[in-house]
Amino acid sequence: MATASLIINSTQISQGAEAKVYKSYVHTSFDSDAKVPILLKHRFKKQYRHPSLDTSLTRARVAGEARALLRCLRSGVSVPGIRMVDATESVLGIEWIEGKSVRMLLGGGAEGEDEQVLDPDQSFDDTTDASGESVSHLDPLEEYQVTIDGVMGLIGSEIAKMHKADVIHGDLTTSNMIIRHPFAAKGPSHTKLVLIDFGLAYTSSLVEDKAVDLYVLERAFASTHPDSEPMFFAVLEAYKNGTGKDWTAVERRLEDVRLRGRKRSMVG
Amino acid sequence: MEVYDYPHFCLQAAVCLLTDVKNGPEIRKKIVQAATCQGEEGNALRDAVNFAFIDARLITSILHLQTAIYYALLAQSQECLRTKTVHSEILWALNPSNNISEAIRRYGLSDSTTSLFVVEIGAIPSHLDKINAIVDGTVSPFARLPEITDWGTIRKYHKLNNELAIQHIEDTTVANAMIDEIVISTVAMKSVSQ
Repeated sequence: MATASLIINSTQISQGAEAKVYKSYVHTSFDSDAKVPILLKHRFKKQYRHPSLDTSLTRARVAGEARALLRCLRSGVSVPGIRMVDATESVLGIEWIEGKSVRMLLGGGAEGEDEQVLDPDQSFDDTTDASGESVSHLDPLEEYQVTIDGVMGLIGSEIAKMHKADVIHGDLTTSNMIIRHPFAAKGPSHTKLVLIDFGLAYTSSLVEDKAVDLYVLERAFASTHPDSEPMFFAVLEAYKNGTGKDWTAVERRLEDVRLRGRKRSMVG
Repeated sequence: MEVYDYPHFCLQAAVCLLTDVKNGPEIRKKIVQAATCQGEEGNALRDAVNFAFIDARLITSILHLQTAIYYALLAQSQECLRTKTVHSEILWALNPSNNISEAIRRYGLSDSTTSLFVVEIGAIPSHLDKINAIVDGTVSPFARLPEITDWGTIRKYHKLNNELAIQHIEDTTVANAMIDEIVISTVAMKSVSQ
């Protein structure tokens, strides 16, 4: 019950179909005011599922997400660190990353109807109003000291590292990538781009799964950003440099996937 | 010494870093004695050493220790401690494997320990005097931790030497920050690690 009361005292940031996301503080000290926030992802109970199925599914997903994150960390992929796991109450606590999603940065606007940003109560991220439209006078790209090409390069190389570790993200979109705010970067060598939301991640070494992962991202780009073709090309270019000899197989398969779509044909 | 508050567990954790510890073997003897002695006398002995004694060489950052403390608090509140006390649970959480005696051997007090973290979990943690009564050392600020941490051994225990994340990094500060992050995450997901 302890984690439940922790959540009650946290600020809700956003809600999706699977989970609610909160900002919280733990390890508060009596002697110093230094407060480090963490992000809590609570997979709430689904009323439409049988309770026992719900419990085991949710538990497996919380554990799976934590495992995927650790696997990425050990392989040098830039992902948030884990801070706490409470599988009994389906809560995952991860590092708080101060920044903006790539989607926001590229002017893709806020998420669609299925997800709503309740309160972007972040000290740096005060550039969104209730409707999610950018009200900043400063160009976000300039504020974050990045260029579009630079961001695409980072996306490609991080995905390449992730696929090298045989982790398939499962839901690659520009909303699931965050650019750290320059103030919050831990140093000049620190990667600015962070991949988030490993809720659908799994491990696989199949070329098919990697190609589909890229295809999902391509579709996400096409549906959220105008003039996405050169952008996605830059992503693939960086991915190619990151994967090396495995690229030819993935490239060929990506062509196939583009023709048939994400799902493999069940005929024959 | 720092005291951290966990209102949702109704508990606090006092953490103290001691350097230049001279009586490592003696403290160890006391702990063993407390564990084997029975009756009234045993209770008194146990009360005197009712702390987690952690070798500071294997701690990468304060967050690392805090994460292990948090894990132990959570396990205690859900009544699923793998070891006998919440204090020994901290040691168990720090070790990447599931072996309890290995965890205590590695992360607990050994005869060669000279820098020590003493952790006490309780409703209102007791005074520094009680710690000073057992440990003969200097209370130091946490800022001294970077000179104590033994990164080589941490790499070995967590089997990080062949990991891609660290292999190609030449700058040791960057590599150590990476190790710190991996080690913290390993501790945090202890309850769901395979």
